[in-house]
Amino acid sequence: MAVRRIDESTPQYEALETTIDRKKIIQALSKLEVVSNEEGLIPAFNVFVNQMPAKFWNSFADRLTRKVGPDLIEAAEWLLVNAAHECGYHTGYGIITSEEWKSVVAPMITRIPEDILHGAFAVFTAWGWAKSEIVELIPNERMVVRAYDYYEADTVTYGIRSRPCAYMIRGVAAAFMDLAYGGPYDPTGQTGLRTFKCVQTKGIECGDEYGEFVVTRADEN
Amino acid sequence: MAMTKHTELVLDRRFDPKTCRHSINGQVQVLHCHHYATLYTQLANDCGMLDGKRLLAEVSEDTFYNILRDYYAANNISNIEDRISIAEQYFAISGLGKMTVRCASPESGEVELSTSHVDQGWIKKWGHKDQPVNFIGWGYISAMFSAVFDKPTRAYSVTETQSIVSGAETSRFEVVAI
Repeated sequence: MAVRRIDESTPQYEALETTIDRKKIIQALSKLEVVSNEEGLIPAFNVFVNQMPAKFWNSFADRLTRKVGPDLIEAAEWLLVNAAHECGYHTGYGIITSEEWKSVVAPMITRIPEDILHGAFAVFTAWGWAKSEIVELIPNERMVVRAYDYYEADTVTYGIRSRPCAYMIRGVAAAFMDLAYGGPYDPTGQTGLRTFKCVQTKGIECGDEYGEFVVTRADEN
Repeated sequence: MAMTKHTELVLDRRFDPKTCRHSINGQVQVLHCHHYATLYTQLANDCGMLDGKRLLAEVSEDTFYNILRDYYAANNISNIEDRISIAEQYFAISGLGKMTVRCASPESGEVELSTSHVDQGWIKKWGHKDQPVNFIGWGYISAMFSAVFDKPTRAYSVTETQSIVSGAETSRFEVVAI
């Protein structure tokens, strides 16, 4: 197996250098209070937002994947990841074009799209999806994300799972790469979406210290 | 019977900087969008072999039953009108829509939604549909009746009789004790 040495001239090293101040973004955006309108809806970022217990999403994914049986589990997992992939693509675009982004994150951006990606994971952290960051980034090719705390790991309260289950992070991580390198945003999702795919290689729910997510080109074997 | 709204839902919102999780009244909460909710709904709708619609409704029922029961207990809310008002408000703050309980008793009830996250999200994403899709709402209503009348879960049958997703102005649900 070939070993790729990391030095300052490798793209993944350069792409990890960022002017994004994660701490500042998390401090600022974690205070944002989401409030529904008089109609009981939360229209924001060009989508309708909902604010529900994490347990709800976890329970459906867990019961579904436990019940479908071994022949269909991968198909069920793909559909759960896909839900997050589409969510991450459309809502992600809404976030990186929002007023909140323009006021807090945009002034920190010097390199596009890499700083946007780093900023997106800071927002992802601030809004409670997963305490996560990029640990490896080869522009337009590969990204590795680590999540040190995430609600999807709560499906285990004792012991460890045999299969990882952070379907939401998988989908959103791939979507963020779609937005960064998949071409112009397409509101129909016909192009741009699913140019990248993500596999989960480690999981807190599987006994690892953190979740790890590897995003690569969708056409790569 | 005329009803007065008595009690305002109190929300204790917190952010834990160590885990970067948000909670409301002690429950970890996450924001998601209508793409996510409707794709979960579509998955449930298409999963006939497991009765995915019921699976999603039961997950909703179990989740919100505990939240409402805990809230009533923690705040000593025993009055039926207050309990219903809290449940309507919680539905709204979740972004799930504007719910009005038209009538309720331990035996039956009628519920109307003048807006619906799932229905309007579905229309925004795919257009209208001739069959109901609000399985999350179905479960919520079931949870609400059980919590309000001190019954266990799975005590009520809920039927959506008209739907915003199908072009109706409001969604309507009929509830009956099993």
